[in-house]
Amino acid sequence: MRFVVFVKQVPDTSSVGTDENGNLMREGVPSILNPYCEFALDMACRVKGEGDIISVVTMGPPQAESALFRCLELGADEAFLLTDRAFAGADVYATAKTLSAFLKKFIPDHDLLFCGRQAMDGDTAQVPAELASMMGCGQFYYTEDLVFSDGWKAVQNYYDEERECALKKGDLISVSKGETDPRLPSVADYIRASGTEIKKLDRVDIGLGTFSVGLKGSKTRITSSRPVSISRRGILTDGGDPTEAAKHIKGMVR
Amino acid sequence: MLQQYDLGTSTADGLMVWLEISERDPVSFEPSSMEILSKAREIYDGRIFGVVFGDTELKPLYKEAFSYGADTLYHVKDKRLIDFHPEAYCESLRSIAERINPSIILMSATLRGREVAPRLAASLGAGLTADCTELSMDGSVLQMTRPAFGGDLMATITSESMPQMATVRPGTFPPNKISDDATGTVIYWQYKGDSFKTIISSKRKYHDEKDITEADILISLGNGIKSKDTIRLAESVAKKLGGMVSCSRALVEKGWFPQSRQVGQSGRNVSPEIYLAFGISGSVQHKAGIMTARRVIAVNSDPDAPIREIADELIVGDAENILRELDKIL
Ligand SMILES: Cc1cc2nc3c(=O)[nH]c(=O)nc-3n(C[C@H](O)[C@H](O)[C@H](O)COP(=O)(O)OP(=O)(O)OC[C@H]3O[C@@H](n4cnc5c(N)ncnc54)[C@H](O)[C@@H]3O)c2cc1C
Repeated sequence: MRFVVFVKQVPDTSSVGTDENGNLMREGVPSILNPYCEFALDMACRVKGEGDIISVVTMGPPQAESALFRCLELGADEAFLLTDRAFAGADVYATAKTLSAFLKKFIPDHDLLFCGRQAMDGDTAQVPAELASMMGCGQFYYTEDLVFSDGWKAVQNYYDEERECALKKGDLISVSKGETDPRLPSVADYIRASGTEIKKLDRVDIGLGTFSVGLKGSKTRITSSRPVSISRRGILTDGGDPTEAAKHIKGMVR
Repeated sequence: MLQQYDLGTSTADGLMVWLEISERDPVSFEPSSMEILSKAREIYDGRIFGVVFGDTELKPLYKEAFSYGADTLYHVKDKRLIDFHPEAYCESLRSIAERINPSIILMSATLRGREVAPRLAASLGAGLTADCTELSMDGSVLQMTRPAFGGDLMATITSESMPQMATVRPGTFPPNKISDDATGTVIYWQYKGDSFKTIISSKRKYHDEKDITEADILISLGNGIKSKDTIRLAESVAKKLGGMVSCSRALVEKGWFPQSRQVGQSGRNVSPEIYLAFGISGSVQHKAGIMTARRVIAVNSDPDAPIREIADELIVGDAENILRELDKIL
């Protein structure tokens, strides 16, 4: 079996501080492997059998290598970094285009594709479905479990419906659940990862024109942005006396 | 392939909306679908096309779609499509879009909407903006605004090509009926493909329970709640106020609540009139889910809890004691 896991590097939001205006301070924030991508990789590792290969892929700047290294430590067998200046500014469409072009050219014969439900920073959850669409494969969002009995089956949770669906070769699953405490790699994992070369590919290797990738290949443009004007004041009130506090709340709610 | 047009010279016209059917009550719309129709009517002068999937059971719903502003309803009539098949839904929406050539396609940013929209966008070669909280027209250009960068900024985004696509965060726009006896045209559409999933088993869940995204008042509990008995207190308070109880992920992880009650990035985005957070610190992921709440009132023993940044008021006190008193006096 050949499993391909698509991952992304994101700023570690749990360590993002805020300034006096309540805005996130992004500078100097460490980058991590997006937790949902880690869930996806964990799932692939869990179902991996003897002789199966797990490939991880990311599109990103050269520093994204560290996210791939983490994947290798966690059990991936090979890693691809799609990196090129021209990839910068890609929206969902251009990202999915790049990933699908890579997949068609470098790993055309794959059995299952894995994505994380969403990125912690972008939060749009669109890349998996656009990728599935471009690959012409089935998509299985909100997958919480993957079982093998008489073929692969995905357990999907839509909150109001939980269902189990059969997967076909080449289908894509988007993983929404996993262990929240990140796994710590062992020394052996570290050594194995260090001995694995991360393959770097650029736009020309993948075979895409400049107008298919990055900002130029994007279908959307951010035209303006403004700070959030939530009219929250964050007044502090003393709730030391529960009876008074309860009355106060009642006054606001009623 | 659908022809791609330059925005300036496009002949694309009309606004198309996928009207999602509720999973809990198969003969009703997801409320957010009516919210989108209302907003569409407000900002868009041209024709509005609704698309529904299902069989004859949907007939009683036609009127409702028209009363919220749809002019024409495409009914993709197929018993098999009562179940959710994202691939088949997408192919149908695509073939309808090729027929009507709309300049805008909208759907709710529900779990299913967020799954179908990107698949459709990619197959149409269209740009897509997810989870919008503001929409307006500038001539024929749709201005789509959504929270970005962890909720720090509101970014306004436009599409480079037709159709312009967006998903809309449920609960953002008020539903407005234009008239109870509005009428329109129904067109039956046949899905000719065979992209059906093999659904081995399906369990409908919580079918008699309201969804937290629909509640006007949420009493939300977090890790600051030490005793499981407090849930009963909160339920009682919520009942008296006509609201519901939700929670942070910390309590889902403890097994105190099902995931359907979780607010936040990996849970639900909620937009109640009042969000009362008891013992919730306000992590980035939690705050992302309450961006569009009308008012946020937090009770926390820590005056510096980050939830203060998004709260109208932070009451510094003990969550359980205050809940207990609140239950007494309501
Ligand atoms: C991929 C990912 C996705 C996530 N998605 C979500 C999500 O969707 N939703 C979500 O909620 N979290 C999510 N999280 C988890 C999130 O990072 C936080 O861990 C979580 O929100 C913390 O929950 P909490 O505020 O209840 O608990 P804590 O952070 O432990 O906060 C408890 C609060 O209670 C206060 N407190 C303590 N005692 C009292 C008392 N007696 N009275 C009053 N207040 C008291 C404390 O001061 C503190 O502020 C996600 C994390 C990851 C990695």
